[in-house]
Amino acid sequence: MSTGTGTGTGNGTGPTRFEVVRQGAREHDDVEIVHYEPQYPPGSKAEKRMTRIVSLMFMLSGLTAILFVLAYVWWPFTDWPSVDGWQYQPGNTASKGFTPILGLMLGLSLGFLGLGILTWGKKLLPHEIALQDRHDGGSDPAERALTGTTLQFIGEELGLARRPLLKVALAAPAAGLGAAALVVPVGMLIKDPHHPDVFFHTGWDPAANGGKKVRLVREDGVTAIRPEDISVGGQITAFPGIPEGNRNKHADSPVLLIRLRQDDAARLRENIKAYPTNAKFEKHPMVGDLVAYSKICTHAGCPASLYEQETNRLLCPCHQSQFLITDNAKPIFGPATQRLPMLPLELDEEGFLAAQGDFAVPVGPAFWEKPSERRDA
Amino acid sequence: MVAHSPRRPRSRARRRAIAALRMLAALVLAGGIYALVSPNAQANAPGQLSAAAQEGRALYETSCISCHANNGQGVEGRGPSLIGVGSAAVEFQVETGRMPAAAQGAQLERKPPQFNSDEARQLGQYIQELGGGPEIAFQGEQAPKGDIAHGGELFRVNCSSCHAFSAAGGALSSGKFAPSLEPSTDRQLYAAMLTGPQNMPVFGDNQMSPQDKYDVIAYVQNLKSDTDPGGWGLGRFGPVTEGVAIFLFGMVLLAFAALWIAGKS
Repeated sequence: MSTGTGTGTGNGTGPTRFEVVRQGAREHDDVEIVHYEPQYPPGSKAEKRMTRIVSLMFMLSGLTAILFVLAYVWWPFTDWPSVDGWQYQPGNTASKGFTPILGLMLGLSLGFLGLGILTWGKKLLPHEIALQDRHDGGSDPAERALTGTTLQFIGEELGLARRPLLKVALAAPAAGLGAAALVVPVGMLIKDPHHPDVFFHTGWDPAANGGKKVRLVREDGVTAIRPEDISVGGQITAFPGIPEGNRNKHADSPVLLIRLRQDDAARLRENIKAYPTNAKFEKHPMVGDLVAYSKICTHAGCPASLYEQETNRLLCPCHQSQFLITDNAKPIFGPATQRLPMLPLELDEEGFLAAQGDFAVPVGPAFWEKPSERRDA
Repeated sequence: MVAHSPRRPRSRARRRAIAALRMLAALVLAGGIYALVSPNAQANAPGQLSAAAQEGRALYETSCISCHANNGQGVEGRGPSLIGVGSAAVEFQVETGRMPAAAQGAQLERKPPQFNSDEARQLGQYIQELGGGPEIAFQGEQAPKGDIAHGGELFRVNCSSCHAFSAAGGALSSGKFAPSLEPSTDRQLYAAMLTGPQNMPVFGDNQMSPQDKYDVIAYVQNLKSDTDPGGWGLGRFGPVTEGVAIFLFGMVLLAFAALWIAGKS
C-alpha cells in the first residue's frame, strides 16, 4: 500500500489488515475508502509532541479525579467533629467551598478526558474519506414475502382458533383491567374523600369552640390582640384563638388584620353597604378602622398577604393577583376571580378582638360546590 | 397671713382682687400648657430649638423647603406635611438617599445620600422638635442584642411575604417592589419597621416591641452575614432556581460547545 500507515501484518506474505478492511467494506457494505492518510509522518517529532499533549490531558483528568476523591473525604463540609452537636455557622467558612470544589474537580476531570479524546481523534488518527452508495426503494420482494409468512405462522402456532377456552380466558384480564382503569376516574366523580362540611368551616366557627366566639391571636397562638396593637397603615397576621389554631390543622383560618387610614376606612364602609355578602353580617364586620380578610388567595391558595398601605392593595406573590382592600377585597388584577372573604370582627367584653362568626363564604380557591357569594345574599 | 387670721367676711374689694389673681394664674397656666403642647407654638419660636435642631433647620431650609414648605407644613400635590412623622422617618428617608427626591414617581428608590448620617440626624431632630412622632429607640449605629431565632419567626410571619425569605426583596403591583435589605443598616431597618415608608406597613411598638424589632434586626443581619456556596446565591430561592439556571445556561453552553466541536471537524 502506498499509504504506509503501519497497519499491515508486516510479514509481506498476505494482504495487510488495511487491505482486508478496505476489501470487506467495498464488498459487504458498498463503502469505498477513497482517501486514507496519517496527519503526521509516523515517528516524526510532531507526532510525538501531539502524543505528549494528549497524554498530559489524560494525566490532568486523572489528577483532578483524585482531587475530587480527596476533597470528598477530607474537605470540612461541617464543623465536624464537634463536641456539642453541629451548629450552622454563617459567614465565609471553609465548608462553603465543599460543593463548589467537588463540582469543579469532577467537571475538570471529565473536561480533560473529553478534550484528550477529542484531540486524539482529531490530531492523531489518519484522515479518511469513504463513500457509500445510497440504497433507494423498499426491501426485496422475496424478503417481504418471507416476513409475512413468518407472522402468519406465529399466529397459527398460538392456536387461538383451535383452543376456544384460551379465547374466553383472555377476555377475563381484558375485562378486569378495563374495569380497573375506569373505576378510578369514574369513582372520583362520585366518592368524596372529604367530610362534606370541611371546606365550609374554619377555626373561626364558634360551634367548634363550644359556642364561644373565637378571639384573634398572634402567631404564638395565645396572645390576644387589642385594636390599639395595630398602627394606622399596619397589619398583623391573626390566627383563631383555639387549640392548634396556629397549626396546620387550621391552615385555612389565618386572616390579615389591617388598620386603614380614616378616609380609606370610610370608603370601605360605603362599599360594604353595596356588597350583601359582607353587609349581611349580624353586626358591622369592621371594628373602628380595622378590617380582616382571609389570607388564603382565592386563585391557588397562596398567602395573599403583600399589603401595600398606600394603594390599599393586597397582593398574592404566587401569580400576582391583586385585591382592593377598600372594595371588599375585589380582585383587580391577575388570575383570581373571587374576592377574599371578610372575617366579621367585634370586640369581646374584655376589649380583645374576636370573630363574630365564621366567614360568609368558604375561603381559598374554587371547588365544585363553592358559592362565590353567600347563599342568602 | 390670711390663713392664720380669724374667719370673717371678706371685703368686696378684697374678693375682687383675689378673683382677678386667680384668673391671671389660670391664664398663665393655660398659656404655659398650650405653649408646651402646641407644635405651632414651638415651630413659631425657633429660639426654643436645640442646637442640633437649629442645624437641621438650616439644612431643611436649603434642601427640603420647596416641597415640604415652611415649618414642614407640606405643599398640596408636591410634598406631604412632616408634622408628626418623627425623626425615625426623616432619618430613614434621608440616609437611604430617597429624600430629597429626584422626581415624583410610583416609588422612590435608594440612591447615594445627599447628606451624611450626622446631617440626617440633625434634620430628624428638627422635624422631631417641630411636631413629635416616632423615634429610633437606640443611640449609636448598632441595635441592642437580639434573639436571632425569635427574630426569624417574626421575619417569616411579617416580612418574608414581601422581602422574601432571603431578604432579597420582591415585586409589588404596577412596577413597585419591596427592596432588598442587603444595604440596610440597623438604624434603617428599625426606622423602616417603625414608620412604614411608602407602601410598607407600619409595625408600631404595640405590635412589635423595640426588643422584637432588635430580634428582627439581629436575624436580618445574621442572614446577610452568611455567604453562598459557590458565590452566587441566585436570590437564595433554593434548588428549583438553581436547577433552572443550570438547565438554561449549562445546557445551552453544552449545546454550543457540541456545535463548535462538530463545526471544527
